[in-house]
Amino acid sequence: MLPGLLLLAVFSYWPLVRSGWLSLHGSDLLGRPTRWVGLANFDRVLTDPTLLRVVGTTVVVTAGSVVLATGTALAAGLLLRTTGRRVRAVGGVVLSLPFAYSAAAASATFAGLFTPSVGVLDRAATALGFTGPGWLTDPVWAVVSIVLATAWYEAGFAVLVVLAALSRLDPSVLEAAALDGAGELRTAVSVVVPALRPSLLFLVVTQTVTGLQIFTQVQVLTRGGPAGATTTIVQELYERAFGAGVPQYGVASALALVLLLLVLAVSAAQFRLGRER
Amino acid sequence: MRLLRVPVLALLVLLVAFPVYVTLTTAFLDPAAVAAGRLWPDPRAFTFDNVRAALQSIPLLRQYGVSAAVTVLQAGSQVVLGALAAYALVFPSWRGRGLALALFLATLAVPGESTVIPNYETVTSLGLRDTVLAVALPFLCAAYPVFLLRQAFSDLPREVWEAATLDGAGHLRILVRVVVPMARGHLATAALWSALAAWNGYFWPLLITDSPDARTVQVGLSQLVVAEGSTPGVVYAGTLVVLLPTLLLVLCGQRFLVRGLAARQS
Repeated sequence: MLPGLLLLAVFSYWPLVRSGWLSLHGSDLLGRPTRWVGLANFDRVLTDPTLLRVVGTTVVVTAGSVVLATGTALAAGLLLRTTGRRVRAVGGVVLSLPFAYSAAAASATFAGLFTPSVGVLDRAATALGFTGPGWLTDPVWAVVSIVLATAWYEAGFAVLVVLAALSRLDPSVLEAAALDGAGELRTAVSVVVPALRPSLLFLVVTQTVTGLQIFTQVQVLTRGGPAGATTTIVQELYERAFGAGVPQYGVASALALVLLLLVLAVSAAQFRLGRER
Repeated sequence: MRLLRVPVLALLVLLVAFPVYVTLTTAFLDPAAVAAGRLWPDPRAFTFDNVRAALQSIPLLRQYGVSAAVTVLQAGSQVVLGALAAYALVFPSWRGRGLALALFLATLAVPGESTVIPNYETVTSLGLRDTVLAVALPFLCAAYPVFLLRQAFSDLPREVWEAATLDGAGHLRILVRVVVPMARGHLATAALWSALAAWNGYFWPLLITDSPDARTVQVGLSQLVVAEGSTPGVVYAGTLVVLLPTLLLVLCGQRFLVRGLAARQS
């Protein structure tokens, strides 16, 4: 008994206490660097148009990429489910390839695709007889490009999760559906998708949480530009705390806590939805 | 559905595989062929020049060493501490066990990005900036392996533990000799996911390292994008070098990954 407790105290409580202390420390920092400002930093995050826009951009990018990635994975999973074994194995590997990419590797890859005029996409556009949009220089297209890169990067994990869930489907239920004469589409809609619900919930929540913390793609592809169009919460936090200007730990910490609250809200929603079943 | 299956599936595969295809071909094509817009791999244009140029542009090999060291340190520590904590949470009964578990699991909901500022101050004040230890330090203990291993240990027959205790074996001995050998598969899963997270990390390594020689490959790669933006072949060659280990994992370890994920959600 005692050795176990001791081990836990030394190896687990200590890091826990430390991370607990650190998380409290974040809120401490609000006024500490020079002067006490109370809730002024939070007030700024909630009223300053620049900072509100940052939160909005983060939500838009997250929503777009989660819908695209999860949709792709679900569609691929449903289509692969009824194909032959070999097609399924090969298709599964190919569709989960993006999982091999880190956020930095995926960003580097898309940077090459989006490069103006010599990039692959612009070349393809020229070959087809039209001019590609300013993938990373037009304010709207830049957001779209970030969403595309993120959705692609997330799709590999999503495919793996859907395939894992499909592998655990109860074959007898599917056989029963087939015996009842349910067609493929009907089986998919009324048997497979409901059975996948917990996995899809897990997927959407995980990807929403990752999406809210998006940084690498923005940092590599646009650095938040053009004119702040793609600046997300963590990118703004990075610029304020570690960027070229005078460090603004106060506002940056307020942003960090807003991020924490968003993530907690998503986790709470997951808990609620998970329990409803 | 039947009619649509082939075209839709083909389209999805095409969209997902295209960036991978571009990575592979551009990395090994003559820069002139790339500049001319030819992406169809011509065996005569095959070259290692891009890889060589990428390795010269940034100290990628040295950064490989840094990333490998960080991954071993971080994942190793997470699994060892995870096993110790999971053991203490599952086998001996003691007051406060539930609270300890809750304290672990609560950290799952805290995004790493929201603790970077205090972590940055702490690690800097310890004088560790620009070291391998600094990159791994905040992540030496993580809740996920504790969670995973607690589940795995709970599934083991309790009688074995009781018998070992009656024989007078100490906790550490039981853990190493009895529990670990029975939960090998789960330990490997925990190690794999911890290692992936460590290898792929970006934000924290970017903040806490300054000199090119202390950077991880991920940070190095993002700097290669800036330095060699006009020569896509070099960027793609660097990308390929960086993603080689994880690419092999996806190509050869697909079944293992899917099994780990299936276990994770149950």
